[in-house]
Amino acid sequence: MMGITKSKKLLFTLIIGSSTALYSAGSIHAQEVEGGTLYGDMLTVTQDMLDHAAGDANNFLHTNGNYNQTRYYPAHQINVHNVGDLERAWTFETEVVESMETTPIVVNGVMYVTTSFNHVYALNAESGKQIWHFKHKMGPITTYCCGPNNRGVFAYGDKVYMGTLDAKLVALNAKTGELEWESQIADPELGYSETMAPTAVDGKILIGTNGGEYGIRGFVKAYDADTGDLLWTFNTTPENSAGVWATEDATGRDMLRDIKAEKAALKELGDPYRTLGGGVWQNMAIDRDSGTVYFVVGNPSPDLYGAIRPGDNLYTNSLVAVDLATGNYKCHFQYIAHDVWDLDAVSPPILTTVMNNRGKEVKGVLHGGKTGYVYVHRADNCDLIRFSEPMVSQENRWVLPTADGERMLPGANGGVEWSPMAINPKLHMTYAINLHQPMTYHVEATPYPGGKLWLGGAFKVIADEQQWGNITAVDYNTGQVKWKVKTQQPMIGGILATAGGLVFTGEGNGWFRAYNAKSGELLWQHKASAGVNAPPASYNVGGTQYIVVGAGGNVQLNYKRGNEVLAFKLGN
Amino acid sequence: MHGMYMTRIMSALFFCLIAGYSQSEEAADEFAAVREIIGSCQVCHGEEGASTQQQYPILAGQEFYYLYVQLKDFKSGLRADPIMGPLASALEKEQMQLVAQYFSEQSWPQYEYATDDNQTNVGLTVIAAGQCVACHLGAFHGNSRVPRLAGQHLEYLTKTMLDFKSKSRNNSPAKGSLMASFGDEQLIAVAQYLSALGDDSESVR
Repeated sequence: MMGITKSKKLLFTLIIGSSTALYSAGSIHAQEVEGGTLYGDMLTVTQDMLDHAAGDANNFLHTNGNYNQTRYYPAHQINVHNVGDLERAWTFETEVVESMETTPIVVNGVMYVTTSFNHVYALNAESGKQIWHFKHKMGPITTYCCGPNNRGVFAYGDKVYMGTLDAKLVALNAKTGELEWESQIADPELGYSETMAPTAVDGKILIGTNGGEYGIRGFVKAYDADTGDLLWTFNTTPENSAGVWATEDATGRDMLRDIKAEKAALKELGDPYRTLGGGVWQNMAIDRDSGTVYFVVGNPSPDLYGAIRPGDNLYTNSLVAVDLATGNYKCHFQYIAHDVWDLDAVSPPILTTVMNNRGKEVKGVLHGGKTGYVYVHRADNCDLIRFSEPMVSQENRWVLPTADGERMLPGANGGVEWSPMAINPKLHMTYAINLHQPMTYHVEATPYPGGKLWLGGAFKVIADEQQWGNITAVDYNTGQVKWKVKTQQPMIGGILATAGGLVFTGEGNGWFRAYNAKSGELLWQHKASAGVNAPPASYNVGGTQYIVVGAGGNVQLNYKRGNEVLAFKLGN
Repeated sequence: MHGMYMTRIMSALFFCLIAGYSQSEEAADEFAAVREIIGSCQVCHGEEGASTQQQYPILAGQEFYYLYVQLKDFKSGLRADPIMGPLASALEKEQMQLVAQYFSEQSWPQYEYATDDNQTNVGLTVIAAGQCVACHLGAFHGNSRVPRLAGQHLEYLTKTMLDFKSKSRNNSPAKGSLMASFGDEQLIAVAQYLSALGDDSESVR
């Protein structure tokens, strides 16, 4: 009897012991999971995941959806039939009441968002509860254009990466938000700064720069993702920037250049490449098959005063392709040579199959220009296949700026501003958000001011003229505008297309709306308490699809500021 | 003799103690090296830079880098001013940075400036046309090289804009043609609007 009791006791002890052990093990796991996700410790973003993002209906891994930057999300739980039932799932308030331009990144149920002035938050994507909060220690010199914005992190491996207003690249531990390393990208005193999200690929972090308003020398840089060491630099203004002396822009209009005077000035002043501008404002598209990086380059410095920078000002206002491994030049196409209107190339390029002019399908590159056209290129040599019908009014284009100012449309914000487009590849349509914002362009001779704002004149909004915006759908195989929705105010932020047949975009007045991608019919709307001027994203947690967007307003167009991240799902 | 000697030693000890005490106080003061300079700034710009005289701008709580750049520009003559020019010329870079840092860390004073609806409307129209918010931000608190304008002295703001317009102030190239494109009355309305702006920060860092 003693024996049995003993063994019962032993058994009991064993069972309790095991249970305790199991419970403890469970607790430890639960603790890690609290800092991690419901799907185990799957916080590591692999290159394979990034390469397959276009078909990933759980995560949102890239600023613009995938390496092709299609902003086409493959989930269709939310679709044209039920989007009317979309309701607020949760709201997160950040500490920073200032414009939000972040694209939320979601990795296995963990969401990363950034704010103005470089805060990063990690949130539980299902509940909206904070996991961690990082505040960048900003240096005293921040020289940026158009607001202290940030467009988001890139998650890669076990880290998240962000560019900062004081021109640094920081790497944070994705689980804890601790700073792992930071690299100084360039000297902020000279006008360099970052508002873009970086792009990670093949062990490299790629990033461009702000500064076209400050006389920088623009670039794309590649950093080692583990160490922060600089791997290569592509300078967007080559030492011979004069080019071919083009007299017409990509749409065939005369740019009113005085080539003779410019050639004489070039002889006298020398090549202006050192302070020529050419920032790269946004993420690059990457063709994984050919190892090619595609990006668009911003305006020359100073924006309005061209006489001090004779020549075509390569590669400003251009689509450029470089080799991913080395950063070596592959091809380019310049939209506007010797631009004096700041109608630069900023909306990120999209890679997709397009129809060429002989009806054959080829690899193509799309770009929505500040000029208000969608440009369609061959990916292999950057040649222009076609440009679309204009999405916005073209008035007096081109007219040279004068001291007293000349009116022209598009205004200097476009067209299409930095807002990324989205495509629906099944419909071969691309969606752009536009501005109708009449401005006068003023020019004033100004020497290089050593890192201060250098516009060479001024842009003025015409106060008593009406402004509005558009959402425009363009067939990129024909260039036709398929539908257009007019909005109350000029649009800035971004758009998301989904396999549910929808496009989502927000407005400065707080309306966040869903439209039928085929017809442009308004299917759903929700009023936020601040301007919705950030690119939306989508993700799936626990079998539920969410749409998420930042609502913080905008500095450039002075839309109502806020601090909210809004997530939506279908109601019951 | 002995007494005098003792007195001398005591005095020496006493002064050593005082000196020692002052030194440790100074060691704790990161602005020790520029206290005297700060003192002379305050003669015009007020206690801690919270100027009460309209022609001398408030420095208390102004952006560090903006203040530093202005001192550099005064010294080089890029910004011409008969009072500040000579004063800044006497400063070295490190001194300028410390002075700028000191004033940037003080609190911006709240003065009561009034404006009427009409001036506000004119001011807001000009601000929208000039896209001022794009640099000075929504609450006009500025950032880094871009100065805070909200709640600055009316007379100083007015003079500044008119000086940019007439090109008697030249150290901000972005300002010239922009100011010149507005009428004086419009700029005065903007100054009134800005000086009356309170401290309600729309923008939190």
